[in-house]
Amino acid sequence: MTRDPAISLRGVSFTYRSAAEPALRDVSLDLHRGEFVVLMGATGAGKSTLAKCLNCSIPQFQPGRLDGAITVLGRSLAGATVSDLAGVVGLVSQDFEAQLFATNVRQEVAFGMEQRGVPREAMQRRLAEALTLVGLGGFESRDPGALSGGEKQRLAIAALLALQPEILVFDEPTTDLDPLGKAQIFEVLAALRARDGTILLIEHETDAAVHADRLLLMEGGRIVADGAPARELRDVARLERLGVRPLDLDRIGAALHWPERVDDIDAAAARLVVRDPSASPAAADPPAAAPVLALEHVEFSYPIGQRALADVSLAIQPGEFVALIGQNGSGKTTLAKCLNGLLRPQRGVVRLRGADLGDLPLNRVAAEVGYVFQNPDHQIFAASVGDEVAFALRNFGIAPSEVSERTRAALAAVGLAGSESLDPFLLGKGQRQRLAVASFLALEPAVLILDEPTTGLDYPEQRRMMDLLAQLHARGMTLVVITHTPWVVAQYARHGMLMRGGRLVFDGPLRDLFADEALLESCHFRVPDVTRLSHRLGLTALTVDELLTVVGGAARGAGA
Amino acid sequence: MYLYVDSDTWVHRLHPLVRLLGMAAVFVSAFVAERPLGQLPILALLAVLLRWTGALGNIYRLRHLFVLIFVMTTLIWTLFYGPDGAPPLLAWGPITVSRTAPWFALGMGLKLDAFLASGILFLSVTRIEEFAYALTRLGLPYKVGFAMTMAFRLVPVFVDAALNVVQAQRCRGLDFERGNLWVRALRYVPVMVPVFMGALRRADQMAMTLDARGFQTRAPRTVLEPYTTSPVDALVTLALLGGVTVYLWLWMHASLALR
Repeated sequence: MTRDPAISLRGVSFTYRSAAEPALRDVSLDLHRGEFVVLMGATGAGKSTLAKCLNCSIPQFQPGRLDGAITVLGRSLAGATVSDLAGVVGLVSQDFEAQLFATNVRQEVAFGMEQRGVPREAMQRRLAEALTLVGLGGFESRDPGALSGGEKQRLAIAALLALQPEILVFDEPTTDLDPLGKAQIFEVLAALRARDGTILLIEHETDAAVHADRLLLMEGGRIVADGAPARELRDVARLERLGVRPLDLDRIGAALHWPERVDDIDAAAARLVVRDPSASPAAADPPAAAPVLALEHVEFSYPIGQRALADVSLAIQPGEFVALIGQNGSGKTTLAKCLNGLLRPQRGVVRLRGADLGDLPLNRVAAEVGYVFQNPDHQIFAASVGDEVAFALRNFGIAPSEVSERTRAALAAVGLAGSESLDPFLLGKGQRQRLAVASFLALEPAVLILDEPTTGLDYPEQRRMMDLLAQLHARGMTLVVITHTPWVVAQYARHGMLMRGGRLVFDGPLRDLFADEALLESCHFRVPDVTRLSHRLGLTALTVDELLTVVGGAARGAGA
Repeated sequence: MYLYVDSDTWVHRLHPLVRLLGMAAVFVSAFVAERPLGQLPILALLAVLLRWTGALGNIYRLRHLFVLIFVMTTLIWTLFYGPDGAPPLLAWGPITVSRTAPWFALGMGLKLDAFLASGILFLSVTRIEEFAYALTRLGLPYKVGFAMTMAFRLVPVFVDAALNVVQAQRCRGLDFERGNLWVRALRYVPVMVPVFMGALRRADQMAMTLDARGFQTRAPRTVLEPYTTSPVDALVTLALLGGVTVYLWLWMHASLALR
C-alpha cells in the first residue's frame, strides 16, 4: 500500500449560503492511497458536507463560502466541477432511487462511459467487470426500477465503478436498506478494499468501522478524533456524546472495566460468569384481554405481482408493543396497511375490537388506528407545524377550540412544544418524523402503527424517537413498529412478529423470538451482539443493562 | 415501471428512427382520415403490431383511458358538431345533430384512440435511450433530447409517489369523495405539495448524479449499442412512406372526407 495522500484538506471551512454557522470548520486531513477510512458523527456534524466537497458538489450545487485548500491526487479542486472529477472521485449517496435513470441495468452502467467517450470494446469489458464486482452479473437486461433496494444501491455503485475512479466516497449507503441489503453493500465494500482503492465511508452503523484502517469522528464541523478503530471505539462515553452508538461488547467492557478491548463474542463469554441465574429475565406473560386488532386467515395479492400475504392470522392485545420484522418484500407493510384498512384483503377478516374492518368506513378506522408512514415527507404539506398537526383534527370535524388544545398537547408529547408557527420544511429529519407522529397522536388513536420510524435518523434521534414511543406505550397506547434495527427491537418491543414470504413465521414474546438465532438469521435478521453473547452464557438477554444485571459485574480473567 | 416490453421482435430491432417514423406515419394518416372507415386499416395494423410485439398488456393496463377518450369524444362531437347543411337527425333545444355528426364523431373517437395506441406501441418497443438517440439524429441537441425523455422516465416515479401520499393523507382523514368540485380540487393540495417537494429534491439529486457521471463533459460521446440500419429498415421505411402517400392522396382527393 503506497502512502501518498489521495485526498488532502488544509484549513477547509464551508458555510452554506443561507446558514449562519459554518458546516465545516478548519478541517485539515490526509487520506492516503489504498486506505479504508470510516467517518462517523451525529447528523449535522459536517460529514456529508465534507463528502460533497470532495467531488465538488459543494460548492457547485450547494453554494456557500468555501475556504482552505482541497487537493485530490495532487490536483487542486479550486475552480473544478463535478464533471471534471467524474472518473476520479465517485460519490455514492444514500438515495439510490435518485441515482438511477436508465431503463435497464446495462444502459445504467454504460451511461457514464458513453458521456466520457469510452471506446465500445473497453465499455463492454468495464461493464462486465463492474457488474461482477457488485454481484449483479446476469442482471444486464433487468429494469432498475424492479430491483430490490440493495440491488439498486449496488447498481449505483457499479455505474460509478465503470468510470474507474481512484477514490470512492460512500455517504451513508446503507441507510435505507434492510439487513440483507446492508450485508450486500458491506460485501461490495470488502471486495473494493481488496482492490487497493481509497475509500471513505460515512456510516451510522458502528459495526462498519470495526475493520477500517482509520476511524474519524466529527462534531460541529470539526474532526475531533482520528485513529485506529480499536482505540477510538473503546471510549464509550465519548462515542455517546458524539452521537455514535457504541458496540455492545465495548459497553460491557467499559462497565466491567476490562483492561483491554475485547471484540470477539466467545472471548467475551469466557470472561463472564452468570452470578445469579434467578435474575435471568423471564419471558413476558402475554396480556389476557380481548384483542384490539385481529387478522383471521388473511390473504392479499397486488394486481401485478405475487401474493403478499398468505393465510395470516394474529391478535394484538391492548397495550402491547409489537415489533414487526422481516426482509423487505416479506409482507410487513402490506400487513400493516391491512391493519388500518388502507388495503382490504381478498380473503379472510381483519377485526377492530371484534368488528369486521370491511364494514367500517376508513375514517372511523383511521381515527382509531394511526399509521405513520416511513417517510414523513410523504405527508407534510402545511405552511406551519401547528397546521400540519391540526390537519387531521379538522378533517375529523373536531371543534376549533379542541383542535388547538390537542395540537399543543401532541406537539408537547413529541418534544416540539412551542413550535406551532415554524415552517415544517425547515425542520430536521428527526423533527419531521416526530411531527408526523404528533399529527396522529392528536387524534388520540388506540393503536399507532409506525413504518420504520428510525430510518435515516442518527443514534441520538433514533433514541429520542423510540423513547417517545416508550412513553406512549407506558400511557397505555398499543404500538406496532416495523423496523430493521435489531437494538431498537430488543430495547423497546416486548412482542415479536416475524414475516417471511408473506407468512407469519413467529408470533410471540420477543425474548422467545430472540432466543431462536437460527430462525432470525434465516430471515437475514441478526440479533444484537449482547443477545448472542448471552446465548453463550445459557440465557437470552435483550440489552446490555439486562446482561449486566445477570452477570452482576463479575468477571473471569478480566484482571479487574 | 415503464411501458417498454423487453423482447426481441423484428419491430424491436428496427432502427429507432424508423420506429419514430412509424409513429409519425400513423399520426399523419389517422389525422387526415375523417371517415371512420379510414381509421380501420390503421387500427387493424396497430392491433397486429401490438399483438406481435407483446404490447397488448399495455393497452389492457390503459383500457379505461381508451374507453374514456372514445366515449367522451364521440359524445361531445355528436352533440356539438353543429349544422353543416346535411339534413338534421334530431334537434333538442339549441342542439341540432346532423346526419353527418355521428360519423364524424365516431371518426374522431377512433382517431384519438389510434394516436394513443400508436404512442403506446412506440414506447412498448423503444427504450427511452433509443428515443433520445432518435431525437438527436433528427438534429435535436443531446441535452434537449435527454431532458425530453427524462419526463417519460420520471412519470411512473411521480405517480408512485403520489399514490403513497394519497394513502398517507387518507390515514389522516382526507376524503376525496365529499364536496363540490372546487372543494375536492382543494383537497388535492395536501397531495400535490409533498409530491412537488419530493420532485424538487429528486431533481436536485439527479442533477448531481448526472454530472458525477460526466453528463457535462465536452468529450465526444460514444454509444454502447451502435444503431445500424438493415434491409428490413429500408423495406419498412418504404412501406410507411407508401402508406402515408396513399392516405395523403386520398385526403387531397377528398375521398377520406365526410362532406
